[in-house]
Amino acid sequence: MSLFDIWLGILKGVGTTAAVTAYGLLFAVPFALGFGVAQYLTVGVARLLVTAVIEFWRSSAVIILLFVFYYALPVFGISLSAWTVSAMVLGLNAGGYASQAVRAGLQALPSGQKEAGAALGLSRPAILFLIELPQALVAMSPTFVNTVIQLVKATALVSLVTLSDMTFRAKEIAQVEYNPVAIYTALLLAFFVVCYPIALAGRWLEARIAAPGSRAGGI
Amino acid sequence: MGFDPAFALSCVPTILSAIGTTLLVAAVSCFGAATIGFLFEMARRIGGIAGMASGFAIDFIRSTPVLIWLYFLYFVLPFYGIRLGSMTVGIMGLSLYYSGYLAEVFKAGIDAIPKGQPEAARALSLSRRDTVIYVIAPQMMRNIAAPLGNYFVSILKATPYLAVLAVPDMLGRAFDIASETYRYAEPLVVAGLIFLALALLISYGVKRLERRLLAGGTR
Repeated sequence: MSLFDIWLGILKGVGTTAAVTAYGLLFAVPFALGFGVAQYLTVGVARLLVTAVIEFWRSSAVIILLFVFYYALPVFGISLSAWTVSAMVLGLNAGGYASQAVRAGLQALPSGQKEAGAALGLSRPAILFLIELPQALVAMSPTFVNTVIQLVKATALVSLVTLSDMTFRAKEIAQVEYNPVAIYTALLLAFFVVCYPIALAGRWLEARIAAPGSRAGGI
Repeated sequence: MGFDPAFALSCVPTILSAIGTTLLVAAVSCFGAATIGFLFEMARRIGGIAGMASGFAIDFIRSTPVLIWLYFLYFVLPFYGIRLGSMTVGIMGLSLYYSGYLAEVFKAGIDAIPKGQPEAARALSLSRRDTVIYVIAPQMMRNIAAPLGNYFVSILKATPYLAVLAVPDMLGRAFDIASETYRYAEPLVVAGLIFLALALLISYGVKRLERRLLAGGTR
């Protein structure tokens, strides 16, 4: 098997990697926005509940979450496909991290913004959607790009629950061809080729915004 | 079949008996990652070709998944006749992967030191070595303590990846029980809860440490 064949074999899995990432974002983005805003707005017991849900997804080890939901849900009578379980677990884990960026972005706004909205007679939802969220989303966009990269990298895990992504294909090739150096170097490069441009885009975005207090370094 | 709480409880001692392995792997990997990360950051600061190579290595590591690094070391090292235990390979993988992140922690920690500090050291005609040891390092330590603690939690949450290399950590023990009894749900849920509790406990400790360091203020 030539180097070219190894590359082609791994690239067969790029569709699955991309699909799990996209499907995962369908879970991550609504979760991050919904729970990030909820954590910002709520107080007392409600905030405790919101924080508990976020911490469950954010502070658990993602590889264990994946196995738990893959093996344990059927025991409770819920059978989801490996696709849905992977997208949900990886997406909500990434969403948990991103929700903290949403909350921090909202909290970092000067309180004069909210007060000015109130002085203009805007309702609380109007202040949130027209004044606070647009500014917070701009400020958090570099962090959000980082979350996308983390999600792409986390998709390597789905090979452990039978989905045939790039990692799965590489392991398949490794079974018929003893050339670990070429195979795993190609796999590392494949992820680098996908993630590095996203990281550079994130850095460019960060430089454009140059918000004080935003995290440096990209990725 | 259902979820059997009594069986879950009976899994606890077996899984908990591997907590030492998990903590040891996390601690050694964190130390390794800090050492390599510090060297990467020093090389990057020197500039020139070494600096560019080091900067690229950091970006490359951060653009690729930790699981692939573990596979890479696990399969490539024996190809060159280097035979190490799977735990050693796992610690090397985690150290290498997280060194890319810790290099950024050191960068931020050094960048945050006011310019006047090294300038004052030079005005007092301290040598370069003494400046680093007595002026830069102590102040850097305070800046990096909290982020380093957070990455220790991240590394702790990545230790179950080593179960993929057949290291008998807590997740590995959970899978041992599962394959003996054909019951996956209970041991995996127990392992997940123990990891969650551990991560939350250490995060809380890091947060308290951060508050104390911030309260210390600048002298």
